Amino acid sequence: MSDEWFTSKRDEFMKWLYDENRRRGLSRAVSSYTAARDYALACLPHLEKTRREVRKIKESAIEQMDELRRIASERITESHGNAYFARDAEEARKMFEKLVGSNKTVVKSKSLVTEEIHLNEALERNGNKIFETDLGEFIIQIRGEKPTHIINPSVHVPKEEVAHTFSKLVGREVKPDIQELVGVAREYLREKFCKADIGITGANVVAAETGTLFIIENEGNARFVSNAPPVHICITGIEKIVPALEDAFKVVQVLPPYATGILMSAYVSMITSPSRTADIEKTLVYGAHGPKELHVIFLDNGRSRMLKDPVFKEALYCLRCGGCMYECPVYRVLGGSFGHNYFGGIGIIWSAFTAGEESVAAAIDACTKCGRCKEVCPLEIDVPKMVECLKSRLVEKGYLANRHRIIKENILERGNPFGE
Amino acid sequence: MPQKVLYWKGCMSRFRTKSIADSIERLLTLIKVDYTTLGENEGCCGSVLYRTGQTSDALLVSKRTIDKIISLGVEKVVTGCPGCFRTMSQDYTNTFKSVPFEVQHISQFLFNIRDRLKDHLQPMDAKVVYHDPCHLGRHMGVYEEPRALIKMIPEVQLLEFKYNRNKALCCGSGGGVRSAFPEVSLEVAKSTLGELPEGTEIVVTACPFCKYNFTEANAKKIQIMDLPELLLRAWGG
Repeated sequence: MSDEWFTSKRDEFMKWLYDENRRRGLSRAVSSYTAARDYALACLPHLEKTRREVRKIKESAIEQMDELRRIASERITESHGNAYFARDAEEARKMFEKLVGSNKTVVKSKSLVTEEIHLNEALERNGNKIFETDLGEFIIQIRGEKPTHIINPSVHVPKEEVAHTFSKLVGREVKPDIQELVGVAREYLREKFCKADIGITGANVVAAETGTLFIIENEGNARFVSNAPPVHICITGIEKIVPALEDAFKVVQVLPPYATGILMSAYVSMITSPSRTADIEKTLVYGAHGPKELHVIFLDNGRSRMLKDPVFKEALYCLRCGGCMYECPVYRVLGGSFGHNYFGGIGIIWSAFTAGEESVAAAIDACTKCGRCKEVCPLEIDVPKMVECLKSRLVEKGYLANRHRIIKENILERGNPFGE
Repeated sequence: MPQKVLYWKGCMSRFRTKSIADSIERLLTLIKVDYTTLGENEGCCGSVLYRTGQTSDALLVSKRTIDKIISLGVEKVVTGCPGCFRTMSQDYTNTFKSVPFEVQHISQFLFNIRDRLKDHLQPMDAKVVYHDPCHLGRHMGVYEEPRALIKMIPEVQLLEFKYNRNKALCCGSGGGVRSAFPEVSLEVAKSTLGELPEGTEIVVTACPFCKYNFTEANAKKIQIMDLPELLLRAWGG
């Protein structure tokens, strides 16, 4: 086997390691996050109990993932929504292509699942115009980059770079003042929400018994996206479904402090059906002030395979708070290059199942298996154990770094890794 | 009559951080521990093979090592390397159910017989921060013994990283990263050293990998020592 799989990742690592701008952006984000998270956890002593309850909820929900999807889909349909099941990324893209059509204006709120299925590229091919509206996603969309953190996708871009990017976008000089930068995005995106034909969101958690989608956010863009256009399409992984509303509320409590170090997010939207009214003669019609159509796509794309695997099943408990990434000593220096479509230790596992094991064959060799991610994870997911198991499978397939092969030969021949 | 102990040096202390092995042997002699070593025949515990996913080779190598230790007839293995300690304690028992010898990290071993050190440690006016090695701390739960030993040295001021014990940062060299991506390993070490508490004079760790990597990344020229090295320095006879 050629070692291109290894050298290309090493080149990507080197670009990150020695890019002062990215490292500066990342390091500012890490210190802001850790300070805020520590404060939030100190303010919320009961969270210790709640996060343990959420672990139990996920343990049981994941075991009945298919059944919960069936219940959630039924409820959504009963409430005049449409529910779909996509086995893989290609099926999901086809569903989107059919629902969106061509030459439409689409606004999106942040959704890593849409990155997972490469949605934007597919929709753009049909002449659709896509606007990312989460500020971080908006920044990297204009810059033509990929997200580098699941919660804060532009974590690597310092304000000076954002100012440069925005100046080009609006054709006037924008100062690297963060308040002013946010203002530019607000002004630019405002009309897009109302003019859009379709709004696309993800969901942070779904309550099966009512078919309710929860969208947690701070900017207010997801509210616009899911409310202003006449059609709302939501895509989410099947592992996000929990049995009841009360389970979902517990997840909602755990996510914000761990994701962004705040006590509670500015907005939590709960969506159960398309917009409706029966105010005239008690006759129910859909599409009052909000969308007339609601489409929910539940995506598998490797998740059922994870469930069947006793070692990797635990990865499905991940709430995607992203806290472990800021806390990962390796992510702190490698940022978005440490992973593939998901990042950090847990991201290596998720990338392996959603994009193929080969996609992280080299990145996994940058994990020190230090175990810090497990300690800071609200659900205490044993990532190092999964990383070691995945590494072992990759070695069986022939993905063994040259240096590691030499070390093995030295050990077998000379009894020590140095060959001395 | 103390039971016979095998001091297992580990590859790092045999070849890269020899002063750690020398310090441990000197200390064991000073406190009159009846111990033996495997010398040139020590071989490999298998840790690096387990951690880099070379599982079948790891099994082969660890089986050889287990047999070698059994043939010595020792009841206890003491090592200064948390990598060897974890592998012999966890991986061996996970794989081979049980092994007929007890494994301890040097910090646990010394802590249990700390009375023998007590009256010999001379005052040392130094601000020392202890770095928890991942394999020793998070993976094996040994946090307090190294700290207790440092605090036995009169006048030493023990400082803590803001994030310590189970939240401690990593030196960057574990899991085969140092060999696969040396530059990444070095940057992680620099970033961890960047979190040193104000006034630190000596960074003490209890792992040859941490000591080696921190020493390479040490731009501030702060002293980096392994726990037995510190104890030996404080030893006044």
